[in-house]
Amino acid sequence: MAADFRRLIEDSREMTRRSFLAIAGWVGFSVASLIALYQSVKWLYPNATYEDPPAFKADPPSAYAVGSTTVIIDKRVVINHDPNGFYAISLICTHLGCTPRYFPDATSDLVLAGTQIAKDPDTGQQATKENPVLPGFKCPCHGSRYFRDAVNFFGPAPRPMDRVHLEVAPDGKLLIDRSVIVERSFRLKV
Amino acid sequence: MSVIRAAIDEMFSVVGQMVGSVFRHGLPLTDKIAARTALTNFVLHIHPVRVRRSWIRMSYTLCLGGLSFFLFIVLTVTGLYLMFYYVPSTQHAYQDMRDLQFVVTFGGLIRNMHRWAAHAMVITVWLHMARVFLTGAYKKPREFNWGVGTLLLLLTLLLSFTGYLLPWDQLSIWAVTVGTNMAKYAPIAGPYTRYLLIGGRVVGDNALLRFYVLHVVGLPLAAFLLMVVHFWRVRKDGFSGGL
Repeated sequence: MAADFRRLIEDSREMTRRSFLAIAGWVGFSVASLIALYQSVKWLYPNATYEDPPAFKADPPSAYAVGSTTVIIDKRVVINHDPNGFYAISLICTHLGCTPRYFPDATSDLVLAGTQIAKDPDTGQQATKENPVLPGFKCPCHGSRYFRDAVNFFGPAPRPMDRVHLEVAPDGKLLIDRSVIVERSFRLKV
Repeated sequence: MSVIRAAIDEMFSVVGQMVGSVFRHGLPLTDKIAARTALTNFVLHIHPVRVRRSWIRMSYTLCLGGLSFFLFIVLTVTGLYLMFYYVPSTQHAYQDMRDLQFVVTFGGLIRNMHRWAAHAMVITVWLHMARVFLTGAYKKPREFNWGVGTLLLLLTLLLSFTGYLLPWDQLSIWAVTVGTNMAKYAPIAGPYTRYLLIGGRVVGDNALLRFYVLHVVGLPLAAFLLMVVHFWRVRKDGFSGGL
């Protein structure tokens, strides 16, 4: 061990000044290149994006009747008012991010074609041959479908659309924050 | 009088030297002069000095590589024209595209040339790859050039994808939303890759500008450099069709 170490020291003494400088030069070049690479990648990450802020105000709660579904398409948000209270849906398809559209009838064509439609766990609704029409959302990109309350029942969507936080702002309007995802049981009681 | 004649003679000799510096070997009347011309000429040197008829048989190559390159040139020229009227911002892009279609003289022609050449190039590059594979032209000593070719295929597809966003219509916005969300599914690096690609969380101004920069400068430049290598390698490794 000690002999090997001594041997290494002896060998390194045989390194010429020229080759030492060459190695030092290459090391310096490599380090500088790595720093430049890091800077190049970092440069491409914007620190500030001037996108639409995630929080915005909608109308006062009284504007939304019980049982209503209101689509705010510019904000890609849905406000539902069911007997238990208000909740907001982020209208972004969980498959690949397109914007599903609201349809008063999102089920009858499937039911009449013989497709079994799973029961909506939230509302307990299920489209049947006797009662085939349920409102819901259809995604234009790959045909995912959701019940009115964002639970997926058809197509490639892997999970329900996200629910986002909403509250009543001091000025009495609904304040929706799309950056805060909440549980499916979340309800705002007014 | 003799002064004027000397001046004229001098002028002719200067012009003669200039012409001679471009056309160095005169008319290629013999094989030797033809070979020398091919050797020293920048454009002609891409081909070997001698090419056997069997090497470039149409029924063998189907001219697919050449067609791809031709379409790349068409796309470069028409793309340059389009750049005069197109502003890559969400405020202007769609309207500029509509203007190109309906207002600019020959705009529809140029835009459609660009569009159809782009579709065609994707097809010819794929077919070129299939031809090279089916004729076994990827085998030693041409494995390296096969590798360069796969990169060129990738660049062709990326050029097609980035160009697809630029009209900024509903189809292109959602296609890129879908495409970049696919990148998001990659483990660990996925979300970072998407943020890097579109410069934000939604496909907006940053995404349009990024795709534009990649489409008109980054990717074509990379493709051009790789093409230079690709053609040079063809020249060095020889044609595979020799029988």
